[in-house]
This record gives sequence, structure tokens and C-alpha cells, in this order.
Amino acid sequence: MTTTQGLARATPAPAQGRGRRSLGNAQAGAGWLFVLPMVVVLGLFLFLPVVMAAWVSVSDWSGRGAPWGGNVNFVGSKNYVDVLGGQGLAARDFGTAIRNNLYYVILVVPLQTVLSLLLAFMVNKRALRGKSFYRTAFYFPSVTSSVAITVLWLFLFSASGAVNAFLGWFSIQGPNWFADPRGVIHIMLGGGDGPAALQEPALFGISGWEWLAGPSVAMCAFILMAIFTTSGTFMLLFLAALQAIGEETEEAAMVDGASAWQRFWYVTLPMLRPTVFTVITLGLIGTWQVFDQIYTGTQGGPSKTTLTPAYLSYDAAFLSGDWGRGAAIAFVLFGIIVLFTILQRLILGGGDNTGTDRRAQRAEKRARTRAAAQTGGVA
Amino acid sequence: MSHPQRAVIAALATAAALTLSACGGGFTSASNTPAASQSANTNPISVLIGSSGDAETTSVKAAVAAWSTKSGIQAEVKVASDLTQQATQGFAGGKPDDVLYVSTDQLAGWAKNGSLEAYGDQLSNKSDFYPGLVKAFTYDDKFYCAPKDFSTLALVINKSMWADAGLTEADVPTTWDQLSAVAKKLTKGKRVGLAFGPEIQRVGVFMAQAGGGLLSADGKAQADAQANVDALTYVKGMLNDGSAAFSSDLGAGWGGEAFGKKMAAMVIEGNWITGAMTSTYPNVEYTVAELPAGVQKGTLQYTNCWGISADGDNKAAAISLVEFLTTTDQQLTFAKDFGVMPSVQSASAQYKTDNPTMVPFINGAEYAQNLPSMAGAADVIKEFNSQLAGLKSKDPKAILDDTQKNLQAIVG
Amino acid sequence: MSNTEAARRHAGESHGVGHVATYVVLTLLAIMYIFPFLVEVANSFKTDEEATLAGMSLWSTNWTTAAYTTLFANSDFALWTMNSVIVTVVVTTGRVFFVSLAGYSLARLRFPGRQAVYLALIAVMSVPAVVLLIPKFLVIKSLGIYDSYAGMILPLLVDAAGVFIMRNFFESIPLAVEEAARIDGAGTFRTFWSVVLPMSRPALMTIIILSFQGSWNELNHFIVSTQSPSLTTLTKGVASLASGQLSSGNQYPIKLAAAALMTIPVAIIFFIFQKRIMNTSGGAVKE
Repeated sequence: MTTTQGLARATPAPAQGRGRRSLGNAQAGAGWLFVLPMVVVLGLFLFLPVVMAAWVSVSDWSGRGAPWGGNVNFVGSKNYVDVLGGQGLAARDFGTAIRNNLYYVILVVPLQTVLSLLLAFMVNKRALRGKSFYRTAFYFPSVTSSVAITVLWLFLFSASGAVNAFLGWFSIQGPNWFADPRGVIHIMLGGGDGPAALQEPALFGISGWEWLAGPSVAMCAFILMAIFTTSGTFMLLFLAALQAIGEETEEAAMVDGASAWQRFWYVTLPMLRPTVFTVITLGLIGTWQVFDQIYTGTQGGPSKTTLTPAYLSYDAAFLSGDWGRGAAIAFVLFGIIVLFTILQRLILGGGDNTGTDRRAQRAEKRARTRAAAQTGGVA
Repeated sequence: MSHPQRAVIAALATAAALTLSACGGGFTSASNTPAASQSANTNPISVLIGSSGDAETTSVKAAVAAWSTKSGIQAEVKVASDLTQQATQGFAGGKPDDVLYVSTDQLAGWAKNGSLEAYGDQLSNKSDFYPGLVKAFTYDDKFYCAPKDFSTLALVINKSMWADAGLTEADVPTTWDQLSAVAKKLTKGKRVGLAFGPEIQRVGVFMAQAGGGLLSADGKAQADAQANVDALTYVKGMLNDGSAAFSSDLGAGWGGEAFGKKMAAMVIEGNWITGAMTSTYPNVEYTVAELPAGVQKGTLQYTNCWGISADGDNKAAAISLVEFLTTTDQQLTFAKDFGVMPSVQSASAQYKTDNPTMVPFINGAEYAQNLPSMAGAADVIKEFNSQLAGLKSKDPKAILDDTQKNLQAIVG
Repeated sequence: MSNTEAARRHAGESHGVGHVATYVVLTLLAIMYIFPFLVEVANSFKTDEEATLAGMSLWSTNWTTAAYTTLFANSDFALWTMNSVIVTVVVTTGRVFFVSLAGYSLARLRFPGRQAVYLALIAVMSVPAVVLLIPKFLVIKSLGIYDSYAGMILPLLVDAAGVFIMRNFFESIPLAVEEAARIDGAGTFRTFWSVVLPMSRPALMTIIILSFQGSWNELNHFIVSTQSPSLTTLTKGVASLASGQLSSGNQYPIKLAAAALMTIPVAIIFFIFQKRIMNTSGGAVKE
């Protein structure tokens, strides 16, 4: 470790003293030249696309020729209204997708956070032997592609697959996971049609009873998969934070005679707050974007119970040729993600750093960016 | 992409693999194709197909190559992994393939946005196609594209299970009551008597047999007709008494798999099943019968056409190619190579002689219905199917009322 | 001091039971994480029938490589692999270069508009990838690079998170070395290329790992940027296998074989760079 605190803090403090002017000019040129590729690529493939999609989402472009051709008309908020209001199929499909994804988020985010924290905690124990084995085992699923994992999952959760064979040891007859559209809450309530009051179409044309269905059995398999594949990444994040906290704090608490649980709850967890915050933010962003798994695995089935807004957007545009609706769904999804991130910020408060030293903060930040790059979210 | 289409493709794949060896010298007889273009346009043609497997790919490639040699125009066959998506992107990207498979589901959308050329009336063999198929590819009163081939559904029966249950040839069901009776007899342990996919593409046969269907003869929405309620109620009864099951509930990807893996004694499937049986489940002996009648005889038919892109730069050559590919002889070659049924009536007699087991399928052409295919129909059908999966516990009338609402929104 | 000592000893004694429990829990969990991959490999060497009936068993009475033969003989698996390799290699190489250039510029060079560029970078990082599916297709098609390697590769050449990582890294290294180089008369690029980059191995490793993994596993960008079968990558190809192509019914061994094979390269990278990936404790400039 060669870094020293002082140097590390260095914010850009370029050429000083003599020759500042000419150096400054040369630097300005080089500076722009260096960022140019980034500006061009991100501008062309991130910024411009958003502008074009915004136009498509308020147009009636039918997918032939250029979207700004003469025969493409401005239709105002029609596509948004189709998706968000009314009782039409477009609205109901969107409502169904939101419901499915909402349950997915509600289950995946807390479970993956808790599990990854638990894993990090256990593999961080000082006296643990075979640390690297355990870390490798837990992290490995995170590096494999979602396509490969989905293929594997379809097999594990098939009617006579490994999961059901395992359940069979306990005399449990497992469901035919990926073909089972029943909502788990409905199953717990014993099926049936539910009270009449919940039969009327409510939000997005989905009846209250349907909103309450819970994730379908098929969706549960995807939920387990998400936890399986992301817990390793987040474990590393927590691990970085735990190591930053260091053992001193823990030991100090130990001396005070606090029980392990008390130490965890009153000392460690509060110090991990910023990391918990990050993990939840990344989790929220990632879980609202479920696409690869659905594309590879179920294409939204059975009974549309694994339909997600991201997949619906793709389906509407690339399969049904309804580009305006597809783009509108994408923007609404964007809005939802932003909304959830803000809500979370309000509820949990910001991710302020407390107590850890700067180097540790940096290490943690680095791990955080890395996790973000990996989970496709923001840092 | 619609589910049945995928199922068909998957099924055909295996059919293809088997017949590969037999497909040697297919095209020698295809000769009398009129050249549709006098101009010197020699732009190459690309053909996008959603292949069921090697046999189909090889066969289509060979046919296209033969045309290429004859016409002197270069032609390339591309195999799509997801035809709908690739074609949609091609149209939107301004780089469509000249000729492509188009399913009935897709026709309306692509015809409506002008992606497809309505060239049907220019075909010299136009009157030879089955009228039902021409109707399937007519949009806005224009005959868009030449039907490539077609398939119908029939009842496929496991011979040994049939015999074990003490049934004889005379017991082959011709009415719903008889179907229920034999299905019960054939149900044994985990094995069900009858299986079919959880989709209108299979269950719809009962609606047709009850005298219903999603659309009336004059094209009005009639999903909530009593005949349809009767049909779904009948199906629900069989699902609930355990004598029938959806193939997906048995853990099978499609009816053919349930049948081949002996999870069901009978399935309602299309002619593509025969290929899968020979290649994947050669030990299962089976026989094919026409579907039993309810109020009337009824089945469904599926077809693809050879679509031609409106933006293609050599449409004359494309039409000439399609004419070549739909000649009687060429279609009989395709039939032999990968198990499809010719779309022209002039091939019917020869086809029946060549393929005696397929007779019940081709007989279905006389009374087969098309599923609705107007713009937006695919979404309505998808929604219907999503509800159908829960038929066991759902009220048939509620499902149909809902479908009626969705259907009315698109047919008015 | 002695208090801590005592506490430590105390902890050691009283946690004997807890310790065993930790091992038991960890081992059970590790089995749950590893077992699926063992199942994957084992079943790829079985017949379809056996895989369907006894998917949990890691043993078979008649091993077969039929699935692998089918994969190479009857599908474009080799082509898919080649495309994935091409894209991954080019993207990774390009990213390392462009991302570090931009990161260096943002960290060290002072130029007008720098702050704006930096803020814009943060802003685009917050756009979720999935939202860009349709728009990316529109742009790629308008630029005339649809259905080409260019369309597959160019948009992936820079990744905002990577720039961010590099910027943070460059901010953490000592200025002194660069100053020295500059005084020796080296230009900005020389300084960057021969002085700064060689010092940046750890951060570059991170970028390489992330880029490799990211582009090898990328799916949705390839869905929207290509249509030709000749440009299909492994992810796209295997996804099409999973949704029913090539196979009637489930044909699990073929799919599992494909999934297992496509995991090998990332697994290799993972094990080579394992130390680096798992190193969560060190500072940015460890080494």
C-alpha cells in the first residue's frame, strides 16, 4: 500500500507557476482530445437515443422507414394514455407487468441485501479457514451470464428437475415452476375468485384481486435466481465496508460486554449504513430492469405472470411493431426507477459516511462503482 | 413471437432432421416458371426463413439455388433465430430481406404499415391455392402473398395404449361424448387420456366444433357466443376430471413431447408431430384421426406465406422466385423433405398417395377455420391464452366476455 | 491492550459452538451455490431422457457427448463463439484505452467545459440500460451501422462507469511523477502513456475484468443492433436455443452444454484475476 493520505486527496491541481498560460492551453486541447471519444460515444449512443425515443414515444411511427419521415405524425400523449389509462389491453398488460415486477422488487431487494450481508459477515470472520473458497463459491454466479444462468434455472426448476427432486425428499410435491401462473398469495388464500369487492378493474385495469395475487410460482423461480446471482456482488461490497470498519470498533464493543447480536445491531450495522444504502439503491435499479431472464426463459409466460415492463417495452416495439407504445413504456419505467430511488432516499436518508477513515471510504467507493458497473446501475 | 409458431418451428426441426437423407434430388422437375420480369434488374435476392431445422434449411436453400441458376440472379437464404424480431428490425432498419416467411399473425401489422408488397394477384398460379389460405393472406381486400404451405390439427392416438385399454378401431371418437369416454378409459396413473397446449391454437378446435369461434362468418366479434362457452365448459370438465391436461401442466413443452414421452395417450396436434415422432420418439406407435365433431366438424389451420418486402429492390425477381417455390412439384418436394402440406390443390391427390398417414390432416382443410389475424389480434389471442392457462379454476364465460371486449376494440 | 487480548481469548472460547455453526451454515450455502453448476455440467453429458428423469443426479450410467456433438455439428455454436470473441476482444481493448484517456482527462487536465462533461457523465450513468433498447436501435439504424460489427462494437467502446473508476483512480495517484515527466518536456499524451498508464495496472485490471465480463455476457445490445445469423453472439444464440430452436421439446443436455461452454471464458478470467476481484481491503494503489 503505497498511497499516502495527502497525495490521495489531490484534486486536479495542474501546472503551477511558470508557463502556466501556454501549458494551460496545451492542456485544454489535450483535455478535450482525451475526452472526445467518450463524449462522442456516450453522446451518440446514450444521449441522442433518449432524444429520438422521446420523439417516437409521441409519434405514430409504425416501424417502416425513418421515424422523422413525412408520413410520421405527432400524436401527443396518446401512447402514454394507452399505457397508463383506460381499460384497454395495452394498459392491462402494463399493469400486469408493473404488478409482476413490483413483487419481484419487493422480494428480491430485501432478501439479497440480507443474504449478502450475512454472507459477508460470515466470510469476514477472522478465524475462518477456507475464506477464499467460500468467497469464490458465493461470488461465482455473479460473473456468469444471465443467459447461461437462465438456461440452467429452466432445467433445475423443470417439472421433474433437481429442485423438485430435492423437495421430493421431504415428500413435498413441487410445482411445475415455469408453467405455473398461480400467484403465491392466491395459493395461500386457497385459490378461488376472491371477494366481489376486489373483482372490479382498479389501477391500470387490473382488479384488486389480481393485484393481490402475489408473484406467480414462475416468478418465484426468477426471484430465487436473482438472489442467487447478485448476492455475491453485494457480498463483496459489504465485505469491503466491514473491513473498512476494522476490528477495533468491534473489539471495543466486545470489551463493553456486548453480546454478538448487540454488537452487530448497535455497532456494526449503523456503520454499514452507507453500504446498505448503496446495495438497496443498486438493487432497486437492477430489479426494475429485468429483461434478459424473461427474454431467454419465459417471454412473459405463463399467463403473463413474468411479464416485466422492460420486456413488454421490447415486445411492443420489436415484436408487435408498436414502437410508440414501446418507447412510452420505456420512459414510464425510467420514471418509476427515478421515483423509487428518490423514495428510498427519503425513507432511509442519504448514504452519508460516518466514522470510517478516508482510505477505507475510498476502497468502499471503488467497490461500489465496480458493483454498479456490474449490476448495470449507477454508482 | 407467437407460441404456436414457435412450437411448430420446434416440431418441424426434428421432422427435418430425419428426412434430411431423403432429400437428395428434389428439384429436377420444377421447370415451368414464368419469368415475371423482362427488365435487366439483376439485384441479388435475400430470403429470410424461420427454419424448423436442417432439413428445411437444406431443402429451401436447394430450391432457391435452383431458381438462382435458372434465372441468373443471385439469391441467398438466411435462417432467422427469431423471425418476427428480425423481420421487424429489417423493415424498421430500411434493410428488409426481399422474401420472407410471414405468418398470419404478422400479416396485418406489416401490411398496414406498408412493409409488405401485395403481389398475390400477379401470381400465375393464384387460383390453385386453397381458398381458405388465400383468405388468410388477404388484408384490406388485397391478396398479399402466396401461401407457402399449411397445417391442420387432428387427433393423434398412441396405438399400444389404445389397445391396452381394450379399444378398437371402431372406438375412434367422432363425437364429444365418445371423446370423453375414451379419454377416461385411457387415463391411468399419472398418464392422462388427452393432452393439448394451453392455447386457443389447440383448444380453439372445440370452439370451432361447437359452431363458434372468435369471429363470426362476417367478421364480427363473437367470443362470448354460447357455442364458445359450451366448448370451454366441456374442456374445463375434462381438465377437472383428470382425463385431460394441458401439455405444460404435464411438464412438456408442447403436445408432441407429452405424447412422445408417454404422458398422454392422445394429443391434439398438427401434422408437424409426425416428424418429431419419427426422429425423436421412433418407438411410439401412433395413428392419426380426424377430430371428433361437436355440433359440426371443426379444426384450425396454420399457414405461412412468402412475403415480399415493399422496400426490396428487385420485386419482379422476388415474385418469380415465389412462383417457382409454390409450383406443385416444388411443394411436393418440400412436403417430402420436411413434412409440410402443399398449399395448392393440384398437389393434394399426389400428396395423399405419398403420405397415407397424413390424410386426416389434409381432409381437415375442407372445414378448418383460421384464427383472427387483423391488426391487434395477436395481442388479444395472447391475452386469451394467458387466461386459458387458468381454465381449471376460472369461469369460461368470464374469460370469453373479457376476450369479447378486447376483440371488439380491434374489429369494432 | 491486555483488555483486547482478553476479549479475543474470551471470544475464542465461548464461540466454539458458534464457530462450528458458522462452518455448517457456510458449507451448506456453498453447496447450494456450487451444486447448480455441477448439475449443469453433469447433465450436459447425459441423454435427454436421463436428464429429464434424473436431473439431480451427478452420475450417469451412460455418459454421452451427443449434446456437444449436436451443438457443433448442427448449430452455429462455433460461429457464435467467434463473434463473441471478436466483440469481446475489441471492446475490451478499446475500452481500456478510451476509458483511461477520458478518466485521466477528467482527473488531471484542466480544460473549459470539464465540469460540464463530468456532470453529463454522471447524468448519463443514471439512464438504465433497458430503457435504451428501442432508442439505441433507432440511432444505430440512422447511423447506417445496423447489422454490422461496427454497430455491435462502437456503442460498447466507452462505458460511463469505467470512466468513473479510472477518474477516481487517477485522482488517487501522486502528482509528483507526472510533474517530473512534464518538466523533462514530455507532452501530455507521452506523460499519460508512458508514465501514468504503467502505474495504473490495478485499475486497468479492474476495467479489463469488467469489460470482458460485460461484453461477453451482453445480450440486449446485440438483440437490437443485429439481425443476421452471421452476427449472432453466444448470448443471443444460446437464448434462442433456450426458447426452443433446434430442439423439439426440452432437449436439456444441449442447452446445458451450451450454457456450460459459454461460462468457461468468464470462469477462466475469474480464476486468473480472482485475487484482484476478491481484494476488497486494499487501497486503490495496492501493489
